[in-house]
Amino acid sequence: MSTDIRFPRSTSETGRIAPKYNRHGGGAKGGFEMAAWLFMRLSGIVLVVLIFGHLFVNLMLGDGVHAIDFGFVAGKWASPFWQWWDLAMLWLAMLHGTNGVRTIVNDYAERDGVRFWLLVVLYAAAIAIVILGTLVIFTFNPCPTVNGVPLPGSFCPKP
Amino acid sequence: MSASTVEPASKVELPASVGGGGEIPTFDITLRVRRYNPEVSEESHWDEYQLTMYGTDRVLDALHKVKWELDGSLSFRRSCAHGVCGSDAMRINGRNRLACKTLLKDLDTSKPITVEPIKGLPVEKDLIVDMEPFFQSYREIMPFLISKGHAPTKERLQSAEDRERFDDTTKCILCAACTSSCPVFWTDGQYFGPAAIVNAHRFIFDSRDDAGDMRLEILNDKEGVWRCRTVFNCTEACPRGIQVTKAISEVKQAILARQF
Amino acid sequence: MQVHKYDVVIVGAGGAGMRAAIESGQRARTAVLTKLYPTRSHTGAAQGGMCAALANVEEDNWEWHTFDTVKGGDYLVDQDAAEVMAKEAIDAVLDLEKMGLPFNRTPEGRIDQRRFGGHTRDHGKAPVRRACYAADRTGHMILQTLYQNCVKHNVEFYNEYYVLDLLIVEEDAVREDGTAYKQKRVAGVVSYDLASGELHVFQAKAVIFATGGAGKVFKTTSNAHTLTGDGMGIAFRRGIPLEDMEFFQFHPTGLAGLGILLSEAARGEGAILRNSEGERFMERYAPTIKDLAPRDIVARSMANEVREGRGAGPNKDYVLLDLTHLEPAHIDAKLPDITEFARTYLGVEPYTEPVPVYPTAHYAMGGVPTNIKGEVLQDNDTIIPGLYAAGEVACVSVHGSNRLGTNSLLDINVFGKRSGINAAEYAKTADYVELPENPANETIALLDSVRNASGTERIASIRADLQETMDTNMQVFRTADSIAKALSDIEALRERYRNISIQDKGKRFNLDLLEAVELGFLLDLAQVMTVAALHRKESRGGHYREDFPNRDDANWMKHTMLYKDDAAETEGIKGLRFGTKPVAFTRYEPMERKY
Repeated sequence: MSTDIRFPRSTSETGRIAPKYNRHGGGAKGGFEMAAWLFMRLSGIVLVVLIFGHLFVNLMLGDGVHAIDFGFVAGKWASPFWQWWDLAMLWLAMLHGTNGVRTIVNDYAERDGVRFWLLVVLYAAAIAIVILGTLVIFTFNPCPTVNGVPLPGSFCPKP
Repeated sequence: MSASTVEPASKVELPASVGGGGEIPTFDITLRVRRYNPEVSEESHWDEYQLTMYGTDRVLDALHKVKWELDGSLSFRRSCAHGVCGSDAMRINGRNRLACKTLLKDLDTSKPITVEPIKGLPVEKDLIVDMEPFFQSYREIMPFLISKGHAPTKERLQSAEDRERFDDTTKCILCAACTSSCPVFWTDGQYFGPAAIVNAHRFIFDSRDDAGDMRLEILNDKEGVWRCRTVFNCTEACPRGIQVTKAISEVKQAILARQF
Repeated sequence: MQVHKYDVVIVGAGGAGMRAAIESGQRARTAVLTKLYPTRSHTGAAQGGMCAALANVEEDNWEWHTFDTVKGGDYLVDQDAAEVMAKEAIDAVLDLEKMGLPFNRTPEGRIDQRRFGGHTRDHGKAPVRRACYAADRTGHMILQTLYQNCVKHNVEFYNEYYVLDLLIVEEDAVREDGTAYKQKRVAGVVSYDLASGELHVFQAKAVIFATGGAGKVFKTTSNAHTLTGDGMGIAFRRGIPLEDMEFFQFHPTGLAGLGILLSEAARGEGAILRNSEGERFMERYAPTIKDLAPRDIVARSMANEVREGRGAGPNKDYVLLDLTHLEPAHIDAKLPDITEFARTYLGVEPYTEPVPVYPTAHYAMGGVPTNIKGEVLQDNDTIIPGLYAAGEVACVSVHGSNRLGTNSLLDINVFGKRSGINAAEYAKTADYVELPENPANETIALLDSVRNASGTERIASIRADLQETMDTNMQVFRTADSIAKALSDIEALRERYRNISIQDKGKRFNLDLLEAVELGFLLDLAQVMTVAALHRKESRGGHYREDFPNRDDANWMKHTMLYKDDAAETEGIKGLRFGTKPVAFTRYEPMERKY
C-alpha cells in the first residue's frame, strides 16, 4: 500500500499540470504537406485521363489487345505525342504512388530508424524507376539491327 | 419567433397509446470489460459479468451495477449521465460511444457486450485514460475568440446566417470519441486529431473572430489537417452528431483558399 | 504530501469557478482545483437561457427583473442581492458575448431573447422575452466559452484533484460592542489527487468555493452523479453555517422515471403540460401565465394532478409535455437537444407524441451564506476574511425559497465574477495565514477510516436507501410526519454508514473510496435539509408543508441558519444548532404570490 506508483500521466519537470507533449518535427514542413496533399488530388485527376486514354488506345482501338507487339510499341514511341503521354504517366504515377507509400510509412512506422530506412528504400526505388523509365522512353530504338539486319518484328522505316 | 403564436387547445383527446405502457421488459446480458490496474499487474485482462437489466438501461447503468453491487474496484469516469459532459467515452463492441447514451436494448444482447477504454491515449486504470495529450492538442489551436479592434459597448452584431455557419462545431463536448477513433491518431498520437480541428473550425468560421489565419497556419502543420485520410470514423463516433470529417475538409479548403 | 502556495485557490471548475478564475487569474497567482475535468461540470447541462433585461426584442428593464426574482423566491430573497444580480446581468451577458459565446441572434444581429417561467413585464402583467440563449444548450456554451477563456488566460488547473478539507484557523477577537468571539480565517485547502492517491495541501491567501449542488441526495434528479454537495459538506464540518437548506427546487419537466432535464425553454417556446384527460391543467393553477408559472408552482400542480388520479401512463404516475402543435422546424431550431433526449431515452417522438415528464430534483436554493461581495459568513454579521463562495454552493440569497429559471446561470456569472475580483484584490494586501501543524491529518484520518473500514454495508445500498427516502418524504409535498420519517431513516443510515467497507484498496483512481466519502457529505446534507424542513412550519416557494399550507410572514420571514455544534440540539438531533438571519428588504413589500 505504501509503494510509490509512477503513473503514466503526462507530467513535466516543472510540475505544471498542463505539460506540452512532443510533436516531432516542430511543424516547419507544413507547406510541403499541403503541396503533397494538393498534388495527390490533381495528379489523381490527370492520371485518370492518362491511364484510361492509354488503356483505350492499347486495348480497344483496332485489333485491341491482339495488336500489341514490339511493333505496336515502337510505332507509338515513334511519335513524340505518345512519348510525352507515357512520360507524364510514368512521372505522375511514380510520384503519386511514392507519396502515398510515404504517408503510410509515416503513419505506421513507429520507430524513427525503421521509418528512415523504409523511406530510403522507397525513394531509391522511385528514383531508379523514374530515371530508367525516362531513359527508355527517349532512347528507345524502334529499329534494332543485328549486323545491319533489322530484328524480326522491329519497326523500321521503309528503305 | 414566428411560429407558435396560436394558442393551443385547452383540452385535446389523447390517443389511448400515449406514454407507451405495459411492464418494462427485463433481459440478461453478459458484460465483458477490459480491466487494467498497474498496481496489481502490468497486463490487462477481460472480466465477465452476468447482469439482469431493464429496457431503458444504458451501458453506464450496467457498469454502475457492476461497480455498486459486484466489484467496487471497477473504475470509469462519468458525470452527467445524459450525454452532455463527455466523461464516459469508451469503446463499446468495438465502436467509440458514450456509455450513458448507448441503450443496452439497441445492442445485440445475445452476445457479450465488450467495453474497453478508448484507443490511442495511455490507459491509467480500467476504462480511464490520460486525457492530457488530447487537451494539449485542443489548447494548441487557440480555442478562444480573438478579436482585434475596439470591443463595442453592447454586443457585437452577427447575422443569423453567420451564426449558423459554425453552429455544428459548437456542439463539441470534448469527449475524445472522435480523436480516439481515428486510425491516424492511433499510429503515433502526434496528429492534432479531429476534436482539435473541430474546435478550430468553430472559431475559423465565426464572423466575429480575427485570428482564423493563425489557426489555419497551425493546422497547416505536418501533424495538421493534411494527415486526415477521410476515414469518417470520427463522424461516425461523434455522440453529438457533428459532421466532423466535413468540418476538417472545410478547414483544408480554407487553408488552400488562403494560399491561392 | 506536497504543499503548493498560491494567492488564490478556486475549488470547482464549473461556471462560477471558471468565471472567478478568469478574473482572479489576471490579477493574482491562481489555481483551480476540480474533481473532474473543467468541461465535465454540470453547468454544461443547463439548457434554456440566461436572463438579462437587454430589451433586445421587447421593452424590459432590470427593475422588473429584480421584482420577478423577489416574487419568484416568495419574498425570502435578499433584495439588495437581487438588485445587484439583475443590474449586473446585462454586463454578464455582454461579457460572455465578448468572450465569444455564440448566442442565437435576432434578424438585426442582436442577441435573441425568449420567454421563461416567472419572468414578466411590468411586475407580473404578462410573460416577457428576457432569456438570452443558444438553442437549448446555453449552459454548454457558457461552460465551453468560460473554459476557452481560461485557456486564453493560462489559468492553472489541477484536474481530478478532489478537495476534502478547508483549512481554517480560529483567532480570538473582540466585536465592536466588546463581546469576545472566535474569528475564523482561511489558510488553504487539502486535496486528494485521484490519479495518484496522493494528498496535496494548497496554502492560499484566498479560497473560493464553487463546488456546485447536492442533487444526489434525491433519487430522481437532473443532477450529475458527481453533484454530492462536497463544498457545502466541507464548510459545514468546519463550523460554517448552512442557510435555507430546506428549500430545494424540483424542476417540473424531467423525463419521467429518469429525471433527465427537459428545459423550461420548451414551455417558453410554446409547449404545454397536459394530464391524462388531455387537459391543459395549468390554466386552473396559474390563470395568467399558465405553463410559464415559476417552477415550484408548476411542479406542485403536476404532482397534484398525479395524486388526484389524472396522471398518464400505465401507472398513472406522470403528466405529458405536449409539443405537437409546434412546427418541427421550429423545434429543431430552438430545442434540438431535449427532443433528442426524448427520442434516445424514452423512444418518444416529440413532433407527434407528448413526452412523459415528472418533477425532478434540480437545484439547492440554500448553501454557504455569503454577502453580495461573495464573502462567506461565519455567522449573521461576521465574514471569514479570504473565504469566498459562488454558484449553487452559495446562498447570497438571490433565489430565496424558489429560484427562477435562468437565474442560476446568472448567479454563477455575476457572483463568480465578483468573488474572483474580490478574492484577487484581497490577496494583494493580505498575508498568508500560517498552516496548522500537520494540515492533512484530518483528511488522512478520514480517508484511512474509509479505506480500512471492515464493515458489511455497501456504499451503493446506503445511498440508494437515502435517495429513496428523500424522494418519498422530502419531495414537493411535505408533512411533519413525512419529514420526521425521512429524518429517522437518515439517522438509521448514518448508523449504517459507520459499518461500511469498500472493495478497492488501491491508490490509483480509487473511485470506490471517492464515492464513500461523497456519501458521507450527502448524509450530512440530507440531515441538515430535513431538520431545516421540519423546523420551518409554513409553506413558501420550494418548501410546501401540507400541514401548514400558507405562507406565514409573521413568524417565518427569515432565513434558516444551521450550524454544526456538538453542544447543541435541534429537532431532537444532537450536534445541530439552529439560528435565523433577517431577510434584506429594499423596495418590495411582501405580497400574496399569484400568477
